[in-house]
Amino acid sequence: MAGVRNRWAIRWLRSQLPELVASGVITSENARAIERHYEHDEPRTNFAFVILATLGSALVAAGIILLIAHNWDDLSRATRTTIAFLPLLIAQALVVFTLMRRNESRPWREAAAIFDVAAVATAFSLISQTYQLQGTFSDFMRTWLLLSIAIVYLLRTTLGAIAYVIGCVVWLFATRGMFSPEGNPMLFWLLLVLVIPYVAIRFRLDRAGRKTAILVIILALASLFGVGATADFANANVGALAYAGLATAIYLCGMKFFPQTTGRLHPLAVVGGIAIGVVTIVLSFESNWHMTYRFSRNSAANLAVAVELLFPIAAVCLAGFDLLGRRAAFSLSAALLPIVAAVAWALTHLCELPDDKWHSTSCSFAAAIVMNCYALLLGIDILARGIRRNSIARANFGLLLIAALAICRFFDSDLSFVARGVGFIIVGLGFLVANLLLFKRRTAP
Amino acid sequence: MNMLRIMIFAVVALAQLGVPAAMVWQREQTLKQGRVWKFRTAPVDPVDAIRGRYIALRFATEEFDAPVKFESGNKSVYAVLKQNTDGFAEVDHLTTEAVETDDVVPVESAWWYGGKQHVRFPFNKFWVAEANAPAAERAYIENNRRDKQNAYVTVRVRRGDAALDQLFIDNEPLSEYLRSHSPR
Repeated sequence: MAGVRNRWAIRWLRSQLPELVASGVITSENARAIERHYEHDEPRTNFAFVILATLGSALVAAGIILLIAHNWDDLSRATRTTIAFLPLLIAQALVVFTLMRRNESRPWREAAAIFDVAAVATAFSLISQTYQLQGTFSDFMRTWLLLSIAIVYLLRTTLGAIAYVIGCVVWLFATRGMFSPEGNPMLFWLLLVLVIPYVAIRFRLDRAGRKTAILVIILALASLFGVGATADFANANVGALAYAGLATAIYLCGMKFFPQTTGRLHPLAVVGGIAIGVVTIVLSFESNWHMTYRFSRNSAANLAVAVELLFPIAAVCLAGFDLLGRRAAFSLSAALLPIVAAVAWALTHLCELPDDKWHSTSCSFAAAIVMNCYALLLGIDILARGIRRNSIARANFGLLLIAALAICRFFDSDLSFVARGVGFIIVGLGFLVANLLLFKRRTAP
Repeated sequence: MNMLRIMIFAVVALAQLGVPAAMVWQREQTLKQGRVWKFRTAPVDPVDAIRGRYIALRFATEEFDAPVKFESGNKSVYAVLKQNTDGFAEVDHLTTEAVETDDVVPVESAWWYGGKQHVRFPFNKFWVAEANAPAAERAYIENNRRDKQNAYVTVRVRRGDAALDQLFIDNEPLSEYLRSHSPR
């Protein structure tokens, strides 16, 4: 009890400080000393209190649920409906309290946000059960996400934003996943756009923060899933361009918006770099350039194509902007991926497109050759950059790319065992020599 | 700034309460004023990830003889119901016209195969409380075999809105059936 009174007293005292300084009772030096004195007390008591309060209310709630569940079937529909709304009302009251009295406390905001969002889901599931509401899991996820997004902004919770983005991906899988291959995934982008202003706010407030990094990485990964579903839905031969554009855009965003002074890359740039490598290797397969003139043409599919094309356009703009301003810190060869993919894509269209996706043409081979050459150049460039910058990770990533390219071609071409053996030996020697060089340089004074 | 936040939250809170409340309201209207239809069931069961457990329902009348495929284009399909001599609902015919009467229900999907028209009604999950789920499932399966067709649901239909009301097993609502057949 004393602790609680003390906390109130401390808060009151701190709120009085500016006035006391203004009226000359104490000096600003004194005020700062008082602030410093109480600085360490408050957050700890605050946090411990939140944890205990959460634990306590969870136990009470669990007890109530047990009591209700025991008699659930005997309760009338009206009673069950009232019970369904109760947690939501309590959660909303807690949010209002947090906004009014605990607005500066992060644990309070996070806890209130989680409680409110969970209470919305509870209300929905209890009402669904009581009234035998039908609807699919995807409908439920969509409504839940739309009713929750505002909480992310109001309570400024980054954890909530991360959970929201993951929720969008869950919606995507429920709508166009293994069990429901027919759904239209375009709403995913709208749901994702709703969280972008929050990402921008986080970026402005705390660019170097770990949570900001996690948020942008989760967003990037979610977009990769989104492009997959969109390309599948559009079924319009431009998936390769979309993936090349997105991977490059992620890499460029990582380099441009999160510059690092230490010489290391920001995790977002690393994710983008890996995505560029993977997309390049995947597109080096000839079968991925099989095109067909039979593709869907309706307004939904056209919108999907437009969304797909946004990514390569964004990537080219990002790169072009920096190149024109001569501020480019990124690897030019990596940034070229969407252009190279576009060239390969254009090449496939020089031949008459076949009836279905199982046929190769001489043009699809030409496209694959372009991608293979690019993959090799990219690998060599990253390796050279790694050696120049004395970065073992980057040099090995370049080598890994070359090795992956070599392995893929050994397996899908009809080379003799001798040729394959020699190829593997050369790649292996490359790894050894490059690493030896790097380590030697590192240990040299 | 904070006052603004609270005002925005007031709107959000209203939406959080309003969306489920609107669902309750519509269901209440249909359950109170809708016409009662009895649908005979036909067997199955999976588990929904989030919303507790349910019994997956199939209905005998979801499949009926039709010499030609029903062509709907891209429009929504509705089933016009009629009552058979046993007092159970049957599909009279399909239509693409959204008529707001008490004998028309929307249809989730429709397909035609081998001289039979198949449809899927939008009321195909019967939610049961977690504790009762295994017993409910057993009761439903036991009374829903080819040699023992003893289960049906009642659905209230009002202005094209269909609300699943009760699952009857052996002419008793599920909860009462479970109580009278519980081992204790």
